[in-house]
Amino acid sequence: MAQIRILLADDHNILRDGMRLLLERQPGFLVVGEAADGRETLQLVQDEAPDVVVMDIAMPNMNGIEATRRIVEKHPNIGVVILSMHHDESYVIRSLKAGARAYLLKDALKAELISAIHAVVEGRSFFSPRISQILQEDYIQALGRKNSDDSYDLLTGREREILQFVAEGKTNKEVANALNLSLYTVDTHRTHILQKLNLHSVPELILYAVRKGIIS
Amino acid sequence: MRQRPGVVLVAGFGGLLLLMAAAEVGALLFLNSLRHNDTTLQARFLARNRTLERIRSNIYLSGTFVRDSLLAPEQSGARAQLTTLDGLRRDSENALVTYASALEPEETAPFQDLRSQIDAYWKVLDRTFAWTEAERGKYRYAFFYEELVPRRTSMLQIADRIEALNEEALRRGDVKVGDLFGRLQLGLLAMIAVTLLGGATLAAFTIVHILKLEDEVQKRLQESVHSEASLQELSARLVRAQEEERRALSRELHDEVAQAFSAVLMEAENLLDLDPAPQVRAHLDSIRGVAGKGMNEIRNMALLLRPSMLDDFGLLPALEWQAREIGKRTGLRIQVASEMSGELPEEHKTCVYRVVQEALNNCAQHAQASAVEVCVRHEDGRILVTVQDDGSGFDPERVRGLGMLGMEERARHLGGTFQIDSRPGRGTLLRVELPWRDVVAREPKLATQTVWDGVPYGANSHPAG
Repeated sequence: MAQIRILLADDHNILRDGMRLLLERQPGFLVVGEAADGRETLQLVQDEAPDVVVMDIAMPNMNGIEATRRIVEKHPNIGVVILSMHHDESYVIRSLKAGARAYLLKDALKAELISAIHAVVEGRSFFSPRISQILQEDYIQALGRKNSDDSYDLLTGREREILQFVAEGKTNKEVANALNLSLYTVDTHRTHILQKLNLHSVPELILYAVRKGIIS
Repeated sequence: MRQRPGVVLVAGFGGLLLLMAAAEVGALLFLNSLRHNDTTLQARFLARNRTLERIRSNIYLSGTFVRDSLLAPEQSGARAQLTTLDGLRRDSENALVTYASALEPEETAPFQDLRSQIDAYWKVLDRTFAWTEAERGKYRYAFFYEELVPRRTSMLQIADRIEALNEEALRRGDVKVGDLFGRLQLGLLAMIAVTLLGGATLAAFTIVHILKLEDEVQKRLQESVHSEASLQELSARLVRAQEEERRALSRELHDEVAQAFSAVLMEAENLLDLDPAPQVRAHLDSIRGVAGKGMNEIRNMALLLRPSMLDDFGLLPALEWQAREIGKRTGLRIQVASEMSGELPEEHKTCVYRVVQEALNNCAQHAQASAVEVCVRHEDGRILVTVQDDGSGFDPERVRGLGMLGMEERARHLGGTFQIDSRPGRGTLLRVELPWRDVVAREPKLATQTVWDGVPYGANSHPAG
């Protein structure tokens, strides 16, 4: 199995050192570079062509979210794992919108980091259990606040199945293959799901799925 | 010393008015008496003249009667004439007494002369009555022409002199009245001069004093405006400094201290990877626990000082985070709505955030509210912030906490207004208006780019490490 090439982006040396140590001890992981700010990260992505970027948000010379947006724009296949101190949903949703597929808190266990890297390489999403928990709590509170019915009940069984696949990062084609449906049908279902849930993008859909506990 | 100008003004104006009033009353009284004097003088002159005239005509008539009686052919005819003559004599006596009652000093001598002449005249006449028929025939012509006519002429001359004297007295009286009038004129002129002079002095004094007072008031006003402005400036600077301090502290805690904890976590993880002895593993687990807890606490502390979303993403995400936090802590249902285009300037953003934070904390702590609506709108060149709760309300006239003063101060520093509309039992509506022209809205592209392109993470505020 080919090695997973990993780029570390964090402005704290000591943290990068620790992380490098941790990751390189894993079979199949190779840390190909370390960047201390956003612009350096973009440069190293260009030079080293990593599979995964483990990215901090708070960095000098362009923050992690902007760097993520630029990386994913140019290289949609690079999986970005955000490793941040921030646990508020405003950071999570912006990271997802920028194209990150995993979001970890900095008190994450080693196992979480490894799972997240594997997940993004496979095109799936991954969130720290703490993040999922916080988002879900906020969502439940928001439901109580608005006194509204849960729009999830509006979805059909098939739509719920497709929602989970999409949230996990599967492409329309993969979903069509898995469920033995035509590409057109999957696309129609996707449109209906977004309409019924009043969502406008895949990142929003992923956040929704995390909040609902459909994925974690 | 303060009261002196007042006393001087009252005394001056009062004195001036009294002087004018006294002058007018005096002049009126004087004129009245002058008129009275003049009338009396005229009346007296006419009365005396009449009396004198009576005396004179009586003397004439007496002469006529005497002649007639002397020429009468018989004694009995003369008798009747004599009776009439007697009446004339008595009337003349009365007139003389009347005239004598108010004699001018210079008239005394001629009057005495006249009187004695008249007395002598009557006595001479008396003699003729005793005459017999023969005597009358013999003396009558001689008596008439040599005695009676000269006497009568002399008496009339005296009377003329007296009349001339009377006229002289009238003239003198007129002159006296003229003198008095002249004096009155002079007095009035003097009074007018004094009044004008006093008034002018008083007016000058008053004007100078008022100008001085106005000058002083102006100076005081400027001083107070100036000190108010510097107080405002100081308070605004304090607020800014405090906010700057919080931001720096928050970022330091978040980026340095919390990261250090996270490094400790990572290192512990690395040690655990080395498969240590169970006892060491237990210690490492404990280190992990402590470091994780420390990291969380530092992070929360940093957020409480100043939420990073405010600088990273703007006002609305920060307000939403605040609403979620307070909601989680207290169970309060908080809705945040925003109709904003573009991002606010730093000071406005902070002001709105802090005001809403304070208001929400008040709702949670004092209002016993169950739901709160926060709304931030941008309309007509101003930002309108409202926080409406359904709590117990209060009387804003009587309750004015430090927190509310702080909100008001913040709004005022940006030229805005702060209002509280609340009544016990009716909930509370807080309303803040800040003037703001959206310069960013004209260049939307630039705005969205700069907000989130490393600005909060400049090299200066972020030491490499």
